[in-house]
Amino acid sequence: MSQAAQSIRPAVVIGGNRIPFARSNGAYSHASNQDMLTAALDGLVARFGLQGQRIGAVSGGAVLKHSKDFNLMRESVLGTSLSADTPAYDVQMACATGMEAIGSLANKIKLGQLESGIGGGVDTTSDAPIAVSEGLRQVLLELSRARSTSAKLKALSKFRPRDLAPNAPGTGEPRTGMSMGDHQSITTKAWNITRVAQDELALASHKNLAAAYERNFFDDLITPFAGVTKDTNLRGDSTLEKLASLKPAFGKNLGAEATMTAGNSTPLTDGASVVLLGSEDFARQHELPMLANFVDFEAAAVDFVHGAEGLLMAPAYAVARILERNNLTLQDFDFYEIHEAFAGTVLSTLAAWEDADFCKNKLGLDAPLGAIDRTKLNVNGSSLAAGHPFAATGGRLVATLAKMLHEKGSGRGLISVCAAGGQGIVAILEAR
Amino acid sequence: MADKYLELVNSGFTKKLAATLGLPRPAVLRRHVPGAPLVPGVVLLLGESSGAQALADVLLGWGLEVRRHSAGQERLGAIILLLDELSCPAELSAPMLLAGSALRGLVPGGRVVSFSRPALATDAPALAAVRQGIDGTIRSVGRELRGGATANGIVLTDDLSPVVPSALAALRFLLSGRSAYVDGQFLTISTDAGVAPEQQGAPLAGKVAVVTGAARGIGAAIANTLHRDGATVVVVDVPAAGDALAKVANKISGTALQLDITRADAGAKIIEHAISRHGSLDIVIHNAGITRDKLLANMDAARWDSVIAVNISSQLAMNEAFLAAKLSGLRVVSLASTSGIAGNRGQSNYAASKGGVIGMVRASAAAFAEAGGSINAVAPGFIETEMTAKIPVATRTVARMLMPSLMQGGLPIDVAEAIGFLASDAAAGINGRTLRVCGQSLVGA
Amino acid sequence: MSELSTLILPAAPSLGSLYATAAAGKLRGLLPGSKPAARTVPQVEHRLESLPINRQKLVDYQRLMGDTVRDELPSVFVHGIVFPLAMSVLVRDDFPLPLLGMVHLSNAVTHLAPIAPSAVLTAVAHAENLRGHRAGTQVDLLVEVSAGTELVWRSVSTYLARGVFLGERPSEEARPHQEFTHPTRTASWRLGAATGREYAAVLGDYNPIHLSAPSAKVLGMKSAIAHGMYLAGRALAGAAPHGTGYAWEISFATPVFLPSTVDIAITSALDKTEFSGWGSRSGKPHFSGTVTPLA
Repeated sequence: MSQAAQSIRPAVVIGGNRIPFARSNGAYSHASNQDMLTAALDGLVARFGLQGQRIGAVSGGAVLKHSKDFNLMRESVLGTSLSADTPAYDVQMACATGMEAIGSLANKIKLGQLESGIGGGVDTTSDAPIAVSEGLRQVLLELSRARSTSAKLKALSKFRPRDLAPNAPGTGEPRTGMSMGDHQSITTKAWNITRVAQDELALASHKNLAAAYERNFFDDLITPFAGVTKDTNLRGDSTLEKLASLKPAFGKNLGAEATMTAGNSTPLTDGASVVLLGSEDFARQHELPMLANFVDFEAAAVDFVHGAEGLLMAPAYAVARILERNNLTLQDFDFYEIHEAFAGTVLSTLAAWEDADFCKNKLGLDAPLGAIDRTKLNVNGSSLAAGHPFAATGGRLVATLAKMLHEKGSGRGLISVCAAGGQGIVAILEAR
Repeated sequence: MADKYLELVNSGFTKKLAATLGLPRPAVLRRHVPGAPLVPGVVLLLGESSGAQALADVLLGWGLEVRRHSAGQERLGAIILLLDELSCPAELSAPMLLAGSALRGLVPGGRVVSFSRPALATDAPALAAVRQGIDGTIRSVGRELRGGATANGIVLTDDLSPVVPSALAALRFLLSGRSAYVDGQFLTISTDAGVAPEQQGAPLAGKVAVVTGAARGIGAAIANTLHRDGATVVVVDVPAAGDALAKVANKISGTALQLDITRADAGAKIIEHAISRHGSLDIVIHNAGITRDKLLANMDAARWDSVIAVNISSQLAMNEAFLAAKLSGLRVVSLASTSGIAGNRGQSNYAASKGGVIGMVRASAAAFAEAGGSINAVAPGFIETEMTAKIPVATRTVARMLMPSLMQGGLPIDVAEAIGFLASDAAAGINGRTLRVCGQSLVGA
Repeated sequence: MSELSTLILPAAPSLGSLYATAAAGKLRGLLPGSKPAARTVPQVEHRLESLPINRQKLVDYQRLMGDTVRDELPSVFVHGIVFPLAMSVLVRDDFPLPLLGMVHLSNAVTHLAPIAPSAVLTAVAHAENLRGHRAGTQVDLLVEVSAGTELVWRSVSTYLARGVFLGERPSEEARPHQEFTHPTRTASWRLGAATGREYAAVLGDYNPIHLSAPSAKVLGMKSAIAHGMYLAGRALAGAAPHGTGYAWEISFATPVFLPSTVDIAITSALDKTEFSGWGSRSGKPHFSGTVTPLA
């Protein structure tokens, strides 16, 4: 632990809650971000008896957000049993939204600014905002500015029938026009990650998640929603043969070398998750469990626009920095929670950490960070099986890891989440 | 869940129509409303036993107007019959006929409550005869009463006085709106244990209660009622019912514990949660239950075994954990069913489990009493829930009206009130018993 | 080089009338394959005293290119506003090559300093360096833009008049066939059929070969092709620095037929950024270039 970290008090993960994640345009088609987040918060409130309490702050967000949801977190809080005196604010850092929200709350708790906080996120690609076309938008804006009838007519005259086609949000990177999967396909190929390795990781994710459900691991981590009690993407009966039969979905321009399929990539998903954090005092006063300390977190970003690095490789850099700051090695962890945006993302990141050139030239290290014990990786499944409602993944990871550490009773865990825009956040938790 | 028929025959034009047609008109029951008087009129205390004065003093202390022998033309809220010292059947005549002459003055929602002693095999035959006769006559009065009035009895074992704490708690319960759907029943007081609550409005203040199967229906009503009576409530249900469970928890400022009670470690999980999060475990309500109805001729193992596992085996296992933890003063109330007493077509599995509950509480009483606790059961009759709402309207209406004296189904709150009473420390003298909440249904007599 | 005479234009000519003039010239018989009327470029420079800068068009341009709206004239935007001036040189009666059908081979621009939209700019354009090409005749068009007395922007555009030869035809050098291997993709552009019209709506270049398939076919193209300066503008939106001068160049290999998807590589080295584009499906190179910040 760094000098600075020693002089401040711990921020404790008390517990978490999420609703089951559901594949896009499925069970939650008619649920809004606010609906899902409210349900996740209500489940958390019920689990920890927070009714009527003023929480220090509720922080989180959504990646795909309607303009009416400008105050998404606050509006959600007002719909829960929490005290209406609980402040809330929105955070957005693409797929790392949840991690940023939780990490920043932890910092405020460490500094003594907050006694408690709830961090998390929500996303729906089913109830996604659809904007009017740029042409129609400009006509409408000009119309609203027009004062005279003639000015209004002039504005209307600019309308063209093609402007009626709406704009739905894509998952493409704005600056490159490429989908995240196509970006990752380049990285996957650059690191020579095989199709089989990706399929094996995907299979392990499904098997691990199914086993976790089987041993009731999620009983105090999930509250059902809209009739869904389990992540709908989970395929516990999947096999390598089934995965091998899928056609490539990304990097198709690689032809025969394309390795990324719908099976080893995360599907679009709807869902919400939240995590309750507090000071030790807060936890003791309210007789709440203390699962783990939120030790530290680090964000990184890479220049993928100019081809300097793969879009989803930022966590590889963030990990190097957080390890140095905390005087740890990559092997000093009992659990690794590496968000499976794509199987290729996880495997490319692991390969990079083992690669002497990468670690020397990109990370500026004398020696590679090295390999991890793969039996400690995503041991209760991850995004390939559970799904990945963008902003909700951070909360899922923190709550899951904190519980695993508490069950073990000792040790520490590493979280790594990549995000759009060439960003990523990593975090360290310690058992209590 | 609302009983449309009951609404129609008790209001406006349809009320007149129903009367003209001679349709049965079930009454709107007098249920507990916080702040309402305990009894809606004066209390007539009949019987000449030695405890009469002491009891009259208690009633006066409760702020009631008490009359001996006759209430004249006054609005009569309750008739209390002290029959605990009768020695032969002939002695029943005077108090019963006095009561009979007063019955017309009993207001709707009025109460008849008797005090008596159990008829034992060791009693003299005449003594046993009068004591057993009281059982029959009070039940018959219950059948005679209209307007939502009920008749119940308190049975004092050994030489307990009518003013021992649990007898008084039972009396309060039976006089109050809390016992609205309890009719024709006897509550047996075994010991002089029990302490009256500091505040009658919050008899469970400071207690930590766990309610299983609390996501909906009767379980949710129990959780609400225990919360209303001052308890901190942990609501338990299977993880798949977690969203409904969270709503219940949030409404009553409790905590939700998603747990499959058939798990081997369910008892330990409940103890751990209650103690680590709330500091103690004082009350457990075994409410979780399932039905998998099928004629025995068509029964399969899955239906039979799952009902037994959830409804009775889980309770046995959890009780072992609670006893092993030596929780001081733990009060357990378990959900039985009139099906477990009288049987019900298509419910051979369910009735086995619910009859099992009755046997279990009787046989567990001594063990729970060792640590100052108790275990009792409540056997509901026809209760209007989401589950019964699915029964076809005609069948449901017949089931409500033709079977019980009160000519209607009960509500979840009626079951919850009985449970709240048995879970209170004031009822500590009641142990190993099963109280039916059935509106004096024909089912099970 | 001999002294140039200067023709000061009263106002920026309209591109529409310039294209009409060019078309008329084509009808006069300046058909591909025929001999040019003259063997030298006119020794005259055209000068425009005050370039029109329309701030709304600037915003529209920045939006179209996916760039941030800011108070700096993008290099290609400057190219767009001086283009009518450059065209006026190409459509002179004494200009030796036909305008319509002329192919844009490359551009090299030195954008010496950031240019504010409020700047009062003068521009001067002339043609030079008429020379042979194995496929016809090429010529450079120089445009210089000054803010006051300070030269801020200088461009050399090289055009090819295909099939037009001055005197001796250059011998067909057998060019070694080069297998194009594209670098690692960093972006993809999905260019719709309306790409040319969108560009025209902002910068006024209604050259028919960019507008639609039918209008392009009239000029012998199999379909509309993306405007070279649109491609350059998109590349610069991702690669050009802000707040400093920079030099850039682009050369065009094969046309981008619309609609199509162009795969892009933008890679930064120490001193410069390289960019290139190729057909996502065909793999054929479309263009490549560099951007070098001026320290």
